[in-house]
Amino acid sequence: MKCDCDGLVRRLTELHDGALGEGDCAAIERHLEECADCGALHRDFQDLARLCRESDRPRMPLAVRRRIEQALK
Amino acid sequence: MSRSLTGPSAEPRELLFRALDEHGDRLYAFALRMTRDPDLAADAVQEAFAAALRKFDTFRGESNIATWLHRIVYTKAVDLIRQRGKETSLPEADDGGLGPEDDRLARTPAWARPPDEILWSSQTREALQAAIKELTPLQRAVFTLREMDGMPTDEVASVLGLEPGTVRVHLHRARLRLRALLAEHFKGRVPT
Repeated sequence: MKCDCDGLVRRLTELHDGALGEGDCAAIERHLEECADCGALHRDFQDLARLCRESDRPRMPLAVRRRIEQALK
Repeated sequence: MSRSLTGPSAEPRELLFRALDEHGDRLYAFALRMTRDPDLAADAVQEAFAAALRKFDTFRGESNIATWLHRIVYTKAVDLIRQRGKETSLPEADDGGLGPEDDRLARTPAWARPPDEILWSSQTREALQAAIKELTPLQRAVFTLREMDGMPTDEVASVLGLEPGTVRVHLHRARLRLRALLAEHFKGRVPT
């Protein structure tokens, strides 16, 4: 990754978050297609997001739920 | 357990019972990822509901009740972490803007593309959980709420008392660190 990529990479999370204007989005997306290193980082972020979505969420143990219910009564 | 409400004037206890039904698992998962300890997570959530009941008059509906409860759980979790000395860094130690260390992490090699059966395996999901434990408490909070729970950035900002832009900085930093940590997991698992 070249040093001049740093500024664009720092904006990847803003891109994911829909926090950029159309012009900025287009510029970054064009760069991601042209720069192999930045494109790979972008794919890693996308895979990381998918891993998170597919991860199981821990559930509150029943004993904890019962104690809270008691406290709320 | 589902309970019906009588309308906007429903008693705080009824609203909190319903919040427990609807958001209890999310709140517990958040507390567990923050504290990294089931006992502390249970304490954080229990204390949060007790505090919510005591100070319900401070909830004015400016945020939804889930956001409000997440904020209380976060405060309780950080208090417990601080009391038990379970962290080497606390949220206030996280500074604001992205810097050279973040740029260095971004330049670490991309994941060697593992086959799908490795990338999406339960072992990788376990490695992700272990990697999340390596984040700072603030990074864990931001990442858990935004990426794992799917909470909108503005709401995460409200829970943590940060500006949305600051949330994105910590989220970006968390993603970079997790990517680097998971690269270690994939090493040796990718056929050459």
